[in-house]
Amino acid sequence: MPRGRHDRYIRPVAQFRLQGSRVLAVDMAGDSVKARNGSMVAYTGQMNFKKLTGGGDGLRGMVARRLTGEQMTVMEAKGQGTCYFADQATEVNLVRLNGEALYVEADNLLCTEATLHTGTSFTGLNGMASGNGLFTTKVEGTGWAALTSNGPAIILRVTQGTPLRVDPGAYVAHTGNLSRHLKSGAGWTTLIGEGGGEAMQVEFTGEGLVYVQPSEKATFGGDV
Amino acid sequence: MSYPPQQPYGQSPYGQQPPHPQQPYSAQQYQQSYQPTQPGIPMPPMPPAPPTAPTPQPGGNGPVVYDAHSLPVNDNVNPYAFSVDLNGPYYLQKGKMIAYYGDIRFSGIGRGAIDRLLEQNFNSPLHAADWVVAEGRGRLLLADRAFDLNSYDLENGNLTVRSGNLLAFEPTLALKQSIIPGFLTLIGTGKFVAASNGPVHFVEPPIRVDPQALVGWADCPAPCHHYDHSYLHGVIGGIRHLTGLGGASGEEHQFEFIGAGQVLLQSSEKLMAERSVGQVDAEEGVPGGGVPQQPGHGGQQLPNIPGLGNLGDLGRRFGL
Repeated sequence: MPRGRHDRYIRPVAQFRLQGSRVLAVDMAGDSVKARNGSMVAYTGQMNFKKLTGGGDGLRGMVARRLTGEQMTVMEAKGQGTCYFADQATEVNLVRLNGEALYVEADNLLCTEATLHTGTSFTGLNGMASGNGLFTTKVEGTGWAALTSNGPAIILRVTQGTPLRVDPGAYVAHTGNLSRHLKSGAGWTTLIGEGGGEAMQVEFTGEGLVYVQPSEKATFGGDV
Repeated sequence: MSYPPQQPYGQSPYGQQPPHPQQPYSAQQYQQSYQPTQPGIPMPPMPPAPPTAPTPQPGGNGPVVYDAHSLPVNDNVNPYAFSVDLNGPYYLQKGKMIAYYGDIRFSGIGRGAIDRLLEQNFNSPLHAADWVVAEGRGRLLLADRAFDLNSYDLENGNLTVRSGNLLAFEPTLALKQSIIPGFLTLIGTGKFVAASNGPVHFVEPPIRVDPQALVGWADCPAPCHHYDHSYLHGVIGGIRHLTGLGGASGEEHQFEFIGAGQVLLQSSEKLMAERSVGQVDAEEGVPGGGVPQQPGHGGQQLPNIPGLGNLGDLGRRFGL
């Protein structure tokens, strides 16, 4: 470990690893992580769990979450040892952030390192029409985040010229400089029950990565 | 990104697969797991990739990222998602698309422009309403509630599958309603994608299978019910059957398959929600055609009241 002037700022960093594909193990040495409330399944060593009000974003975040409906109950796990997190046997995906932002549905965010900042972000009317809500959770900073997905998430790259269209129910998260637009394939045939079954699609353009899960949440657009 | 892709998630869900470090979807392994016994029977699903990719660790290589070109061509991305290299029309069940690259249009079946195409692939307009045509060019990702997906190749063959399990098929195949209610039959040459709860196993008849584990069958001429009636023999057995005293194992009823072919089984007894296969005309002699059943021989048949025992069957049971 390098020693120097900034030594006192070097703090132990929680180590994220997967225990199997459905359990997240975090090795901690006195530091803390933010995790979804009640997602701890086991721990070794000394751990303290504290519920954070308003998604752990402070007072302003609390108000924002109340207003936006992007509800997230978060706890802080702090201590020494290994803590195991899981959520209803869904697959856990680790995402490394290096300063960029990760946009994720609150339902799919399992755990974040304490160095990451979480907040809410406005997705526009697109989100509402696709049944995902008007707002999404934004995770920023440097560190590890763990996402859950129903079935292992597939990571798809979006570049200029190759836009990606995603079923809103299969969307989990995205990173990078992407803009999302709602594409509607609905026409008059949808109204008479002869629709294409994929009436709502979210189009991602720009540069970035999109995480999709091999299953579909029940959304408004899912079965039209 | 290279093909075959590494698994972006932790370990393979099928830990018993032998490690196969170089080519997860190698032809060799494919051959080992399956020896065709006759032409025209379906190819088994691809074996899932063994655990080659290490868990993405801090400081490691990280998970695999796919783009429009590195997605597999008509193959599984992982056991739960299937990538179709679309070039032309393709039929899929409503709501099974999770993502796509390229220019693809989804239209409900029953519209004028594709009516002619429809004729070759569907026989009943009612069940055609559950299907969607994807047209265009691009890569299409299919998935169904994180169930295992497999693709099957039919070569001038036929395969009957539970209606809820069929996901997508090439237009070179014709989809027909099976005589057996709740099942669909695919006839012809081409590829289709079906879901199952857990990996699919291929077994050869003669075999008796649990009704909930059955996914489908190919070429078998005689699928029939089978009941273990030995536990009903004698007076004690009769009382047991009528009153439920003494219990039953729950496995007295099976499906029996006789004849040449293959039977597809899933590795769990959890069923997928059934899709409507379309109505059949109310015609005499058509199973499930809405024609009232023949009264039991000996004339009047009492309604079966659960809990009281099947008193209505009593006469038939004792040959009266």
